[in-house]
Amino acid sequence: MLKRIGAYWNKPSKAAYLFLFPSLITLFLFAVIPLCGAIIIGFMDLDIYFSKSGFAGFNNFIKALTDERFWNALKNTAVFALIEVPLQILIGLLVANAVATTSFFSKFSRTIFFLPVVCSMAAVGIMWSILFDGTIGFIPYVLKQIGIEGLAFFRDPKMAMGTVISMTVWKNFGYTMSILVVGIQSISTSYYEAAKIDGASKLNRFFYITIPCLAPNLGFCLITNLIGSLQVFDQVYVTTQGGPQYKTETLVQYIYKTGFSHPFELGYASSMSVLLLIFILLLSFPLYKKVFMQKEM
Amino acid sequence: MKMKFTRENIILGLIKYITLGLLIFAVLFPLVWLFAGAFKVEKQILSYPPTIIGTKHSLKSFSRIFQSIPMEIYLKNTIIFSLGSTTLALLFDSLAGYAFARLNFRGKNFLFVAILLTMMVPFQVMMIPLFLESHFLGILNTYQGLILPKMTTAFGIFMMRSYFTQLPKDLEEAARVDGLNEAVIFFKIMLPLVKPGLLTLGIFHLMNSWNDLLYPLMMTSDVKMRTLSAGLALFVGERATTYYGPQLAGAVISIIPLLLLYIFFQRYFVASVATSGIKD
Repeated sequence: MLKRIGAYWNKPSKAAYLFLFPSLITLFLFAVIPLCGAIIIGFMDLDIYFSKSGFAGFNNFIKALTDERFWNALKNTAVFALIEVPLQILIGLLVANAVATTSFFSKFSRTIFFLPVVCSMAAVGIMWSILFDGTIGFIPYVLKQIGIEGLAFFRDPKMAMGTVISMTVWKNFGYTMSILVVGIQSISTSYYEAAKIDGASKLNRFFYITIPCLAPNLGFCLITNLIGSLQVFDQVYVTTQGGPQYKTETLVQYIYKTGFSHPFELGYASSMSVLLLIFILLLSFPLYKKVFMQKEM
Repeated sequence: MKMKFTRENIILGLIKYITLGLLIFAVLFPLVWLFAGAFKVEKQILSYPPTIIGTKHSLKSFSRIFQSIPMEIYLKNTIIFSLGSTTLALLFDSLAGYAFARLNFRGKNFLFVAILLTMMVPFQVMMIPLFLESHFLGILNTYQGLILPKMTTAFGIFMMRSYFTQLPKDLEEAARVDGLNEAVIFFKIMLPLVKPGLLTLGIFHLMNSWNDLLYPLMMTSDVKMRTLSAGLALFVGERATTYYGPQLAGAVISIIPLLLLYIFFQRYFVASVATSGIKD
């Protein structure tokens, strides 16, 4: 009997299910159920103490769409995404183009530029907060020496978002760079040689060979960075906590605060995360399409 | 090929090296300042004008951070969480990736697309139901609660699948003819062949879980269960300290382990990022 069971499962077509079982059950329990849960809870009136629970219909969604703080968070998230992503890709691209060679200097540069990617956002946030601190920070001191005074960076409502964006670019451009370096290194050198013979300048080679050949990689960076930037949380949580004057409060930060601190409204928080999912899908589907169409060309 | 010293080449070259030099400085300076700051005495951190390296150094900030928050517990939790989830994810992701790459079975395409779809749903969307689910399962504030949801990732399955696909065809057929069973074929023959893949995925997973903030923040409310990232973020966020040195020391402690790994396994760190960029 045991032997027969063993023989049954030892066929490749059956063993596959055993191999898949742990992953499938984990993904079902901790991805599929929570996703369905998010939608269900979004339609519920639910707080963390379970003191109230019941069907709320579209109330949470209507509440979100009429909540000024939600729109503010959405605006901040959009500002972050629209500035941080192009900046990171642009810097990543220019740096990748400069260090894609195999010389020692290039390799050394790449090693350095990847360092911040390895550090946690919590540590980077602590570091930047103190480095840019208005009273004891080193950077404000240096700026004062060259005549720029009184900048408060994270504490200035006008500058806080810019500082958060700069910090994120500082930490993450090495990531984009690494992806693009691989892309550049896989471009056939014969293109460049042919262009050289035809007398194309370095700039022309960059615009007419490197960029078109990198289009799929750039598209990939754009999608992943954009999706990632819509979920921005860590950098805000460790530096400004959404302040000053809610100027850096992002969507996920607001969702987290709504659900896990006062007022602990899980239902409302969940409805906002469903809205976030809708935004992400609306944004990423057209982009996915574009990138994959380019690949087929 | 010979470099031509045209005016364009010289100017572009100058711009390139000056910019790169400045950029290297911009990346290194905060890190050097951070490490120096962690060893400065508090007075020197507050002194005006501020210095980069300082003149008086001590380990006072380090002992202070250990007194203010249970760093040794955070460190232990972070190690258990990141090593535990990485080990399990390596096992389960490669099992699943292998099945998708080398075995034929009914429902393969459907399951694979389903897994890819879960990759598109960000964690932030599922965090509240996940929190409730863990509460009902009674695993909030436990190691199981931290590790179980992270013991497989759609991305890891996807990545291991591509490594297994690259292996030569019919490799396992010979073993089957020899009468080896499927488990032995996987563990003894196939798995050792994707060691670079395992290392790359392992580093990727380790780095992500070590640095993760929102997830451990949400899954642990008990001080005794917090990870380094979550513990430090809360410590700073509560403005519980007026000292700056301990904050810097805490940040240094949290990044040193990964920094050391990076020095030894740089290739795999970069590969983990690069392979995530080549999705075919």
